[in-house]
Amino acid sequence: MTRVGNRVDLSKRGGDTLRSPVPLPRLRLQRLLSRLLFLIPIVFMVLFFALPLALTVVWSVFERTMFWMEPGFTLFAYENFFFSARLNNFLSSMLHSSISVLVSFVFGFPIAVFVRRRVPQVARHRVILLFILPFMVSEIIRIFALRPVLQRTGLINNVLLEMGVITEPITAILYTPLGVIIGEVLSFLPFIVFAGFLAMEAVPKFVFEICDDLGAPRHRVFIDIILPLAAPGIFAGGVFIFVNGLGVALLPNILGGPGAVNAGLIATQAITALDFPLAMAISAIMMGTLLGLLYLGHRLFDLTRILTPIN
Amino acid sequence: MKQFEFNRRMLLQSATAMAAFGAVGGLGFGRAQAAGALKLWTIGIAKVGAKDWSAMANQAGIEIAYNAKSARADEAILKMVVGDGAKLYDAMSDNGGGMEDALASQGAVVPLDTSKIPNWRNILPVYNPGGAAADSIRHEGKVVAVPYISNADSMAYNRDKIGADLHSWEAMFDAQFKGRAAMQNDFGPTLTNTAIYLKESGKQDIVDPSNMTPSEVKGVCQFLIEQKKKGQFRTFWDGFQNGVSLLASEEVLVSSCWEPVQIVAAKKSKMDIRYGTMKEGHQTWNNVFMLTKGGMARGQSDAFYKLMNVYLSTWFGARTLATFGFGPQMQGVNEYVAANPKDFDDTAKATIAARLAGKADRYKVKGNSWQNVFPKHIRDYQDWWARVQAA
Repeated sequence: MTRVGNRVDLSKRGGDTLRSPVPLPRLRLQRLLSRLLFLIPIVFMVLFFALPLALTVVWSVFERTMFWMEPGFTLFAYENFFFSARLNNFLSSMLHSSISVLVSFVFGFPIAVFVRRRVPQVARHRVILLFILPFMVSEIIRIFALRPVLQRTGLINNVLLEMGVITEPITAILYTPLGVIIGEVLSFLPFIVFAGFLAMEAVPKFVFEICDDLGAPRHRVFIDIILPLAAPGIFAGGVFIFVNGLGVALLPNILGGPGAVNAGLIATQAITALDFPLAMAISAIMMGTLLGLLYLGHRLFDLTRILTPIN
Repeated sequence: MKQFEFNRRMLLQSATAMAAFGAVGGLGFGRAQAAGALKLWTIGIAKVGAKDWSAMANQAGIEIAYNAKSARADEAILKMVVGDGAKLYDAMSDNGGGMEDALASQGAVVPLDTSKIPNWRNILPVYNPGGAAADSIRHEGKVVAVPYISNADSMAYNRDKIGADLHSWEAMFDAQFKGRAAMQNDFGPTLTNTAIYLKESGKQDIVDPSNMTPSEVKGVCQFLIEQKKKGQFRTFWDGFQNGVSLLASEEVLVSSCWEPVQIVAAKKSKMDIRYGTMKEGHQTWNNVFMLTKGGMARGQSDAFYKLMNVYLSTWFGARTLATFGFGPQMQGVNEYVAANPKDFDDTAKATIAARLAGKADRYKVKGNSWQNVFPKHIRDYQDWWARVQAA
């Protein structure tokens, strides 16, 4: 074996040179393939993320024509977004989505913690599966099914009226921002349960045992131990909910009040009116928001930690 | 545009057989079965007589390869003007009074020879040159479209709960229906209907509710914003099922909507939900068939004309009226129904007569205004509609 610096030179054959167990051409091929393997995610990201995003930005500055758009450079679509009521609509939907994230965290994360800490390992993934099952039902059905529950003559109002709790139907839970938030929470809660659970999986169980042995109060364990360790998962789940709340046009359409919109619906309406540069600009702004959030989250929490259980 | 979104939804809901038919057609089976079949791109309820297209095909004596179409104008424009629609489809349907001009101006559809459609002689007189709807099927004076359904959209109301008939859009903005009123979540019909009300009631000066100036759009939208802030609207509905659900569940007592929404809501709720005639006027519209440039090039014009002859027959008119409540585009429907008692029992006859009478009443109103898919100041429409939504 001949050493060249820190590198082992396997090219020398015969004598006392160490023979590679793998033939050299095959080894080179393996190295090449392993390098290519790393390229696959990059190619995937370029083809299915960077390129479409770049095209979205480019098209957003094109000139609008009657039925399509033509190459050019104008910021009119952005002006049309930022200096119109669309910005207010966008900000409102961001606010509603943020509230949905918060509510989902309050209801969803304790479930993830409970499953991690209390449910026996053999049943843990099955229990989590129960929370993911609703995803297997069409989104439109899930959202539409809320109406018979929330409406004036719906299940909740009927039960409360029968019980004498209320004398008039509650109308604030449907066709209002609250209705949209209820829809978002019920639709996207599994995101935070699953992401939270994944994050909790990364926390070794002995950490909890030590806390118990030391007699740490539950709220201190939650604030000082669980939250910091599970932060990447909570953040990832929150981003999923936030982005879906901004983008799923069905929610304000079916559960919202008069003219309720989110970013997805604003873009859809722009397309319906054949204003493609505006639709592209809204999409670019949404993607910018998402990327900004992910960057912030990664700087704060190191999002790669979510994958610790897989590693 | 969204006028017909419900058709897609109905199509999805209606029958597995229908979906299977579409899927089979989509897979090419239908085309393999009939290489020369007319490739039709249209909405699910453009047919009557059977769950699939067999009855329509039999009546026309041609073979039809159906391709499901949504009601979105952007989809039709993109497919036919920018995309490969000419290669895929021989004929297509869309809104008259806008889309036929847009498509013909781009050469996507071709002028028609109406002498090859024998039932053209029965077409409603409003389509004759100089008639109120003449422009809705013509581009630069040439006929490029055949109408097959139409209506004057109005306001549905729950007579059981209200206890009286309504004849004015005033009810839509009346404080007694605060929080129990709904309009469509589409600036086209909602701004037009509101403009008709404001114009005819003398509340605002508007020249043409279908094609408003920026200041007129502003005035109409400011009125809607004021109403919205007062809490007048429960919601703005979007899609057929949403419209039905609102009325059937008593969430709203008055709703500006399509006639089939009222028909289904009344059936579903078993309440007396009626479709009124508004004294100020209504947005009128039609849906038309067009022969594509590709269809013409492939020699499908004869098959197209045969099918159009069916669409202008009383056989089709009576059935689309009885089934969906859409207005037939030909004269003689009552006579046809009377001459075919086996197909139309007394209840069906009464329904058809009542619907025809209702339509006639609505069409008579002076303030009616034609649907305009592409108003001149569409950007102002969009921008001000966003403000209504944000209010």
